[in-house]
Amino acid sequence: MAEAAKKPAEYGADSIKVLKGLEAVRKRPGMYIGDTDDGSGLHHMVYEVVDNGIDEALAGHATDVAVIIHADDSVSVRDNGRGIPVDIHHEEGVSAAEVIMTQLHAGGKFNNTDDSGNAYKVSGGLHGVGVSVVNALSEWLELTVWRDETEYRARFEDGECVVHVYPVGPAPGKRGTQVRFLASAKVNRPDGTFSNLDYSFKTLENRLRELAFLNSGVRIVLEDERHAEPQRVELFYEGGVREFVKFLDRSKSSIMSEPIYMVGERNGIGVEVAMWWNDSYHENVLPFTNNIPQRDGGTHLAGFRGALTRTITGYAQSSGIAKREKVDFTGDDAREGLTCVLSVKVPDPKFSSQTKDKLVSSEVRPAVENLVNEKLAEWFEENPQNAKIIVGKIIEAALAREAARKARELTRRKTALDVASLPGKLADCQERDPAKSELFLVEGDSAGGSAKQGRSRSNQAVLPLRGKILNVERARFDRMLGSQEIGTLITALGTGIGRDEFDIGKLRYHKVVIMTDADVDGAHIRTLLLTFFFRQMPQLIEGGYLYIAQPPLYKVARGKSEVYLKDQAALDDYLIEMGTEGAVLRLADGTEIAGNHLAHVIEGARQFRRVLDAFPTHYPRPILEQAALAGAFDPGRVDADLQAVADQVARRLDAVAVEYERGWQGRITQDHGIRLSRILRGVEELRTLDGAILRSGEARRLSQIAGQHRDIYRDPARLVRKDREQMVHGPIDLLKCVLTEGEKGLTLQRYKGLGEMNPNQLWETTLDPEARTLLQVKVDDLAEADDIFTKLMGDVVEPRREFIQANALSVENLDF
Amino acid sequence: MTCPTCGKPADAHYRPFCSRRCADVDLARWLNESYRIPDAAAGEDEPPEDPVPPTRQ
Repeated sequence: MAEAAKKPAEYGADSIKVLKGLEAVRKRPGMYIGDTDDGSGLHHMVYEVVDNGIDEALAGHATDVAVIIHADDSVSVRDNGRGIPVDIHHEEGVSAAEVIMTQLHAGGKFNNTDDSGNAYKVSGGLHGVGVSVVNALSEWLELTVWRDETEYRARFEDGECVVHVYPVGPAPGKRGTQVRFLASAKVNRPDGTFSNLDYSFKTLENRLRELAFLNSGVRIVLEDERHAEPQRVELFYEGGVREFVKFLDRSKSSIMSEPIYMVGERNGIGVEVAMWWNDSYHENVLPFTNNIPQRDGGTHLAGFRGALTRTITGYAQSSGIAKREKVDFTGDDAREGLTCVLSVKVPDPKFSSQTKDKLVSSEVRPAVENLVNEKLAEWFEENPQNAKIIVGKIIEAALAREAARKARELTRRKTALDVASLPGKLADCQERDPAKSELFLVEGDSAGGSAKQGRSRSNQAVLPLRGKILNVERARFDRMLGSQEIGTLITALGTGIGRDEFDIGKLRYHKVVIMTDADVDGAHIRTLLLTFFFRQMPQLIEGGYLYIAQPPLYKVARGKSEVYLKDQAALDDYLIEMGTEGAVLRLADGTEIAGNHLAHVIEGARQFRRVLDAFPTHYPRPILEQAALAGAFDPGRVDADLQAVADQVARRLDAVAVEYERGWQGRITQDHGIRLSRILRGVEELRTLDGAILRSGEARRLSQIAGQHRDIYRDPARLVRKDREQMVHGPIDLLKCVLTEGEKGLTLQRYKGLGEMNPNQLWETTLDPEARTLLQVKVDDLAEADDIFTKLMGDVVEPRREFIQANALSVENLDF
Repeated sequence: MTCPTCGKPADAHYRPFCSRRCADVDLARWLNESYRIPDAAAGEDEPPEDPVPPTRQ
């Protein structure tokens, strides 16, 4: 051993060259190891040694790498690989281990053009200068090798071998290499390289974890013995980069259950990618080349981005999503919320700088682009559910970007002056105080014209709005608010739009009044407007600034007097009032009903009619009316003695009919319904009240209300006026008599739209603050309106149509 | 109240939406005319008239 420990007798020229090499490292350590003051160079010392262990593992010879920070600030790195060769190197005349430790650019990994077994195809090595640099910058370095069942050691001081490799003794079953070094530092000696020896556990842990992720299956242990309480962490990830991606997003929520994983080789370049999207808005793509991170990206990142944008654009177009949402997205949109680890293994990579922050090898871009294009398209094809979710998120990103841009544009537009200059648009008022100003949003140009003429110019402004109609397909039309209309509306209000720009303080009118026609189209435009305000300007409603006008539906003229009535119910009230003037209802037993009592009976008749309206239309109303009065819908009676009920219905129908049309007969049908028939001019007329309708919910309600009328119409009553009298057989009959009487001498006009009113009429009924009624819109009402809107807008066409048909009435009556 | 865009609970600051993102997405859909109500009346017949004329004196 003593022999082995001696310096070689010949100190030849080659050896001097070696010393000169290491001398250069000590003179300009920054070039080889990085900054010696801020700690980065110091930590690189550790990584450089670790990389040798990782390379052994990648070559399939090692499974474990252990790093220990010792109490004396030295660091040891041990792997369980083959152990570096200790036999004599033919060229150098010293042991191979010694060559590796003392010569720059020595070691197996520099032979990457060589196919010999002990060369590494690609290798990490932070700076590719080998462990000799670590030796050069260490006060001392101890090498231990377990190889051929024997333990060997060597020691170096200031880069020079002071104890040559010697066998310590047998080491059965042990293999591997350990390097322990004390970095040369100014804290220990004035000519030291590093400012201090403050290893950060966290920094080392982060990088080692990265290596554990990037080299799936390698177990890396980090221990810190500097403190009374030693720290230890074990890093082992079988999932590789997939687990890396999950780890990066451990505190975020992903929109997918598993990352997309792609792996393959193109032209000798290995590519491994794991990626997914989370619900945040930040992009986090980490590119690595041969295990080294590139802070500034490079050709691999460019290839990845190109393929990603291309694949997703293709999918969004082919699936029709892009067309439906009418938005173009950019690469930035596609990468919003993306977390990705992109690892390439490249033989002989080229970087833009010594620090390897950017990869410039041009052959990497097509390799990555090609592989990602192919594999990602394949994945989208095979995972349509997830693909939809991803593209949905990207489209949302694009929409949000577009909204922010348009909101800025709309808000910067100069307010009303601009709108006023557009023909057919805003007719502004003279008043400048918002508290005194009103804005009427009027449906349609012609109504807008009337409103402009009929308004009070001093404080009432008018903005005509048109619902845009779009022919979606044959026989299907969609109604919407055009973007121009919305833009004009926002400009007229003066508030701006969007979460950053909207300012309720700039509202130019403290009464904004929606004025639409009383038909389905009007209801749709009103629903669109209300939903827009509710969603994008809730402050307008909360401030109590939003109203709905109530233009009349009818104009009634009798002689010289004119009355406007807002809806059907108001018209009925009016007609009944006129139709009952001086009338008396005389019952068969002589009882007389008049005045308030008659009004009450007629109100009951209106309720009766409403219940009757719920029956399917193919049941004749007069038959239902008489059947109800005969008790045909009473749950008890139909099941007790149906024939008796059928007879009574027939009797009542005969009483209603003129003499020569009588002869109704009632029979029981197989389903326990009633079959009513009579012979009319030789032909049988047949009406059926089937068993189901007699026992339905409508029947129960009708039976309840019929009970209140039965006594009045047991036998035909008479409606008596001063000049004549009419037979009355039931509540509907009574209502008809009264309404017909009420209509006598009246001119009735139904306004189909606001446009049918002349400016004067519009002023008198809807604009004049003295005469009009305005409904103030409340937020609570609107939450419900929004719900209706959402259902109307539903994605699937068929259920949507059904819903509209079922709710046509409720939409029409969206009055708040 | 639930966010009209994504269905999550609304946030008071972004009401009736849950987030700025969802509010912006909604605004974009207004401005690119995505929100439409199908016109139910188009192509539909009037309900059939009462087939039997009322029989009365």
